[in-house]
Amino acid sequence: MTDLTGLVVAALEPSIRPSLIARGATVRVVGVDDGVATLEVTGSPGAVLPVASRIEAQIRAAVPAVTTVRIVTPGAQPPDAQPTEAGAAGSLAEQARRILDAEVNPAIAAHRGHVILTGADEGWVRIRLEGGCQGCSLAEVTVRQGIEPLLRARLPDLIGLTDVTDHEAGTQPYFSPEKR
Amino acid sequence: MLLLVPARTYRAADFLAAAGRMGLDLVVASDGALPLGGRPVVRVSPEDIEGSADRIMARAGPVAAVVAADTPMLPLAAEVAARLGLPHHPVAAVAAAADKAAQRRLWAAATIAQPAFRIVPAAASPDAVPRAAAEVGYPCDAVQRAAAEVGYPCVVKAVSLSASQGVLRADDPAAAAAAATRIRLVLAAAGRPGSEPLLVEEYVPGPELSIDGLLTTGALTVTAVFDKPWTADGPTFEETLLITPSRIRGPLLAEAVSTAAKAARALGLTHGPIHAELRIDERAGPPRPVMLELAARSIGGLCSRALRFGGASLEELVLAHALGRPAPWRPDAGASRPSGVLMLPVSRPGVLVAVEGRAEAAATPGVTGLTITIPVGQQVRPLPEGDRYLGFIFAEGDTHQSVEGALRAAQERLRVVIR
Repeated sequence: MTDLTGLVVAALEPSIRPSLIARGATVRVVGVDDGVATLEVTGSPGAVLPVASRIEAQIRAAVPAVTTVRIVTPGAQPPDAQPTEAGAAGSLAEQARRILDAEVNPAIAAHRGHVILTGADEGWVRIRLEGGCQGCSLAEVTVRQGIEPLLRARLPDLIGLTDVTDHEAGTQPYFSPEKR
Repeated sequence: MLLLVPARTYRAADFLAAAGRMGLDLVVASDGALPLGGRPVVRVSPEDIEGSADRIMARAGPVAAVVAADTPMLPLAAEVAARLGLPHHPVAAVAAAADKAAQRRLWAAATIAQPAFRIVPAAASPDAVPRAAAEVGYPCDAVQRAAAEVGYPCVVKAVSLSASQGVLRADDPAAAAAAATRIRLVLAAAGRPGSEPLLVEEYVPGPELSIDGLLTTGALTVTAVFDKPWTADGPTFEETLLITPSRIRGPLLAEAVSTAAKAARALGLTHGPIHAELRIDERAGPPRPVMLELAARSIGGLCSRALRFGGASLEELVLAHALGRPAPWRPDAGASRPSGVLMLPVSRPGVLVAVEGRAEAAATPGVTGLTITIPVGQQVRPLPEGDRYLGFIFAEGDTHQSVEGALRAAQERLRVVIR
């Protein structure tokens, strides 16, 4: 481990890493090269991307030699921390959007929900849940048991699906958790 | 893996994430999830065990293990596991664990240390479901007689609710009668049958702790012991601060674990997670653990996020255990760094208008996570009526004091606006 990598690891430990764990993801430092710190996240990407800019700010503040933070997932090309324009990447985005509009949105409308494509590139599709799905206690079931398998079955080029929803900001979740 | 997920749970995301990390082929059964044409989602109802189990048997396909993600699905999970011949807590044991009166009776028969108690039958006809609180109640003299027998102060409890809902301390006969009336209202609002009895038990002061573990053919492997240093003295019993590992050590901790294991076995629980809550009775003689309650599941809310097992989550341990896989962690791996979770109670009834100061609270040194779980604009109610946490704060530190200090400081930076 280089000194710079060690500094980034140290910057992660007090708050970023545990915070990501608390949100359902884990993170490790792959390395630092030419000012670019690469973090590998596993678990729920939706727990990471909404706070990606804050993570970068904290690392850059703690380690001034780091100018950029890249967030990647294991075994795949990295999903960009900053989503690209939906559709700009071509057919994957268009195909994903058609499936979401034709097959997913009519179904989740029953729960006042809606899903939009926020970006697609390098095999990764990013979605944001809205309405009744945003903050719903079963949103992860909808994404991982419903939307992701559906897209995988139809899109052979799909590497992964990322939910970039800020679920804590949801104001009308269809199901809210209760203590039982 | 068949995962039964109730619609209103804190735990769906963590179990889904655990299953994803483990690469499990998951079938979900739920009363809320939408079938989207992806992986199977079997529609079930916790109120219709037989019909739901029939649908699962017809539609789920072959499964190797059954896990309930949260309390409402425990009876159905037990029923399905029994039909499939899979290792799981038995149906009758899960039912006993969900009934505080049954717990007390079974523990008394097994001479498990617990508070003195009395069961007060309802005055209603056995099958009545009250449409209004005035339709049913508990005879005041019966409640007061029970309270006098266990001694004041006492605790009056609904037998079917959990997480301190429907639980009130009473210091005198008038308070006992008032508590019974108020709890009846809570039960009516929850749609419980009017025949449900009340539990009146001795109030045991002293340190409180919770023990989480996994039973394997009756043998308990402890996964976590939490201290509860801010445990309330009443009249309501908000669950707030949990810190692990416990500072209780040596023979007393061993006795607490042994008591929890015996209590689980006395209920008939054999295979799966348990969550036990105990107090240390220090009133006379040497301190001794006494059982308060036990559930046939792992710790609730988002509290499991305060735990890590060599990189694995508690949910991964539960899923691996159900599958009969080796645990991705060893119980003797050594004490972990102190960590804690603070469940934010609802202070008063009203509409949640805002939770201010979140960034400042999250930036508190030692704080590792902050999650607000009630959306702004929703109605909130405190205990004993309330059934939701406002949110959760997580912290880690080198000492228990630093964890508690971080959580306290973070809470003080939050400004919860309820109108």
